[in-house]
Amino acid sequence: MARRLTTCTFCGVGCGLYLETTANRIVGVCPSLSHPANQGRICVRGWHVHEVASSPDRLKAPLLKKGGRFEEVSWDEALGFVAARLEAIRARHGADALAFLNSPRCSNEEAYLLQKLARAVAGTNNVDHGSGVYSNNSINVLLDMIGVPATTNSLGELQRSEVILVDGVDLGTQLPTIGGRVIRAKLAGARLIIVDARRHRVAEHADLFLQLRPGTRVLLYGAMAKVIVDRGLVNLGFVRAWCNNYQAFLDQVMGFDLLRAADICGVSAELIEQAAVAYAQARSAAILYSTGIEARGASSVRAMINLALLTGQIGKEGAGIYALTEHNNLQGVCDMGMMPDRLPGYKPVADPAARAAVGGVWKAQLPSSPGATARQIWEDRHGGRIRGVWLCRYDPVTTASFCDVPAALQQMDLVVVQHLFLTATAQYAHVVLPVVAFGEEEVTFTSTERRIQIASQVIEPPPGPLPAWRQLVRTAQVLGADWDYTSTAAVMDEIGQVVSFYSGASYDNLARDYGRQWPCTKDKPLGTRFLFQEGIPGRPFKFMPVPWPAISRYAPEDFPMAMIFGHALYYWHQNVLVQHSETLKRELRVVLLDYPEGFVEINDADARALGIRDGDRIRLRGQGGQALTTARVTGEVRSGTIFVPFFVREVEKQLLGAAAPEQGNLGKPVFVQLEKA
Amino acid sequence: MRARIVARPNVLKIVDLLRQQGHEVVAPFCDRGRDTYFDVVTNENRDRVQIHLANPFYPPKRFVFPQIERLLTVQRHDGHLAIQPITRAPKRALFGIRSCDVAGIWHLDRFYLGGKYRDEYYANRRRNLFLVNVVCTDPDRDIGEECFCVCADTGPAAREHFDLQLTDLGDEFMAVAGSAAGEALFSDPIFAPATAAHVEQRRALLEAVRKRFKTTTSWFSATVRYVSQGQILEATWEQVGRRCLECGGCTFICPACTCFTVSDRPAGPGQIERVRIWDSCALAGFTRMAGGFNPRRAVHDRRNRRFFRKLAHYFIQRELSMACVGCGRCVAVCHGDIGMPSVVEMIRRATAPHPASAPAQP
Repeated sequence: MARRLTTCTFCGVGCGLYLETTANRIVGVCPSLSHPANQGRICVRGWHVHEVASSPDRLKAPLLKKGGRFEEVSWDEALGFVAARLEAIRARHGADALAFLNSPRCSNEEAYLLQKLARAVAGTNNVDHGSGVYSNNSINVLLDMIGVPATTNSLGELQRSEVILVDGVDLGTQLPTIGGRVIRAKLAGARLIIVDARRHRVAEHADLFLQLRPGTRVLLYGAMAKVIVDRGLVNLGFVRAWCNNYQAFLDQVMGFDLLRAADICGVSAELIEQAAVAYAQARSAAILYSTGIEARGASSVRAMINLALLTGQIGKEGAGIYALTEHNNLQGVCDMGMMPDRLPGYKPVADPAARAAVGGVWKAQLPSSPGATARQIWEDRHGGRIRGVWLCRYDPVTTASFCDVPAALQQMDLVVVQHLFLTATAQYAHVVLPVVAFGEEEVTFTSTERRIQIASQVIEPPPGPLPAWRQLVRTAQVLGADWDYTSTAAVMDEIGQVVSFYSGASYDNLARDYGRQWPCTKDKPLGTRFLFQEGIPGRPFKFMPVPWPAISRYAPEDFPMAMIFGHALYYWHQNVLVQHSETLKRELRVVLLDYPEGFVEINDADARALGIRDGDRIRLRGQGGQALTTARVTGEVRSGTIFVPFFVREVEKQLLGAAAPEQGNLGKPVFVQLEKA
Repeated sequence: MRARIVARPNVLKIVDLLRQQGHEVVAPFCDRGRDTYFDVVTNENRDRVQIHLANPFYPPKRFVFPQIERLLTVQRHDGHLAIQPITRAPKRALFGIRSCDVAGIWHLDRFYLGGKYRDEYYANRRRNLFLVNVVCTDPDRDIGEECFCVCADTGPAAREHFDLQLTDLGDEFMAVAGSAAGEALFSDPIFAPATAAHVEQRRALLEAVRKRFKTTTSWFSATVRYVSQGQILEATWEQVGRRCLECGGCTFICPACTCFTVSDRPAGPGQIERVRIWDSCALAGFTRMAGGFNPRRAVHDRRNRRFFRKLAHYFIQRELSMACVGCGRCVAVCHGDIGMPSVVEMIRRATAPHPASAPAQP
């Protein structure tokens, strides 16, 4: 009987839990009472981490496709093939014909080595994480406006916030430990403002529930800014001391009309006003929103951060911006530079001094032009240029629903897949390289509160698979690179040389307590609880003017229902751990059993008005086409909206034909007519 | 009288005694921060065994009812199937189990062994388990913020259902035997006779400790009546349900919760293993039936079910014990603060009749 403290592998909270093992099997899990993020609480997923015992469909050896069929081969043969093919493609088509993509669930060490392989060995910046959602909506905005691409405060401080505003994330299902903190904060006297089209569990506790129409956030936040300005609640001291660009922002705000905004948003003017006043007047007010999976437009993120700057709700305890990461290492893989335009530590690849600094540590010349994004690669192989792709723990055939990934893969000369199982994507691979699972290697993840934590090794992996990071090292070596990392701790030591805010994050330091929140430097080895807690240097904050959007009416005359295409709510149902846990399968995937032909969610009052019952077939008629699907009736969905889970792709295709929504536009609704079929 | 005195320096020799008798002894140790845990005692860690510490969060029911338990394997071999039950259960002693958790084990004994069907897997593990109960006497180290065993009448000193019980009297410990197996230990010279004065000392100590509990209370009696008589309004359960994030933690962490599911899964070439896994009535799928019907789909219906099972008189009578031992773990594990004390309080506030609306005297 042994037990070890580790960090959960599911979402971005990074809960501390103990894994119990007997005879090389994980047989139990128990939350850590002392861990600062969760303090004894975990969610249903964490409670079933132990159920994923060695599964017989785990890959045991590398697979090489020969004559259209997979054959088990040795590591030498597999990596030799990969290296030879990589070199051939590069020689013939250039380094930018190669791309290296990973999942936001990859460890820091894997992510760091993958982008180093791409940049220092292959010579390309074609690097991205998942479908690049964090980048798309938040990283550039956060860097621009507050200079730091991460949550500014700590999870524990939520119990001391006077006002908490939660925007567009169902905390109870996505980040339950944070959902619990918000509920308990409310019970202890905090005021809770929820901005969401969906009435989820945490929204039931809202003091102010702004159940807005999809796609109207910019109007809402602009109207709130207007109220704050009109009521004289601007924190002028803060603005004058530390913010730039205030006048340009103010000019746009003056163009917002509260009553008109209220009318289009579908939220009463009184409620908008109350929310604005509560947020502005609070001693400490926090804004929580989600950065990944559920794509949202960058302007709505700008509008939110503008509010925080307007009222000085940054740089103090209980306040701040929580750019929540829904995957366990979405923050970490971005810190590690898995973005086509940024190096580890976020300096732009286009910056010669940054390239020289990193290149100095790597002893390599780094490519200077930003690479292709995952989206560009899946849409058309970046104009046909990409011929080889390396996918680390990434299954785009299943998760990148916005593109025809199989078509892109089939046209490539090299597809390398690193994964635990033969995923849908692996079917299209030339080489499949088996990795080890959670608990079988010691690596680090960085949680949404910037906490770099060790995920411990608690059992020996089965014979056959290799840690993903070791496969990257060996591949680099076969390609002639002088890599010799003996452990993940050694990789982290190098990360500390390249990423300044990780410079103090050695494994020794991380193991002493409960990880460290970055910036964790040699001067500040205990890490940083909330950003700017030692003061605000210079004038680092910048308002971004967000104009009144061009919108005359909300929905077209004949198509009154707004369809929201959602990714987050049912995302975890596809996660490999869920598929191998009896209980999680029952809890999360059962919805796929109950609605075998897929479903879209409609509001119960709307359903009643149209005589639609749960499980009925319904027709959605849009401007570009129509779709037949099944109704799932729920009181959570806003009246006048329809929620489409991401795996119901046929609905999207039928309604929109060739013009399927772009990833970045998932926030913009598509308007349809709803009727019983 | 089945009581003896053990000098303070000799208390851990009881651990040595049990090891010599062939028990795998499991005892509490301190971990990081406030975390504590049970672990197998070895020569290397024996001196780090703790008597007074926060009760380990991972409930000791896992020694008789593991979180995941292999029940049997089925092997295909030469055209037929060989079924092999897994019945090996180690001979084990639990040194340092708290009185609340002793009541929890007793409740599980009633559930798994006391009805028409006897669970042989549970029986194997239970038969081979020797319980050394340590009484909570130190308000700073033993008694947590969330403890309310006094309200559940399970502590601070269990009255029965242990093999041996140790109470710290200061310079020495009193050892009380609760079974023949416990009494058999008394032949060892570390056990000296106890006097009436010792017994009085223990009584006074326990009376004082009962007053040193912290702020968590759970006044059960009225709530048991309201639950049993169906007086609780739906709105109260909805209020509880709104705070639930359906994690299952309350069930998993509770020493007196018993639910499980059984699953068959591949275990190797031509082999299947059947496992029993902890389950929870907090989860939506718990009552889902083949065909999709689910009588407790709504979260408040599931919360209702939990507290009915815990508090209704029907169950207390059936199991001869209440399914809540006052350990306070559900208070610590819950995201929405709807552990037993909070829910009891919510029910009392919502259901207690207002004096002005009391029915007229007959």
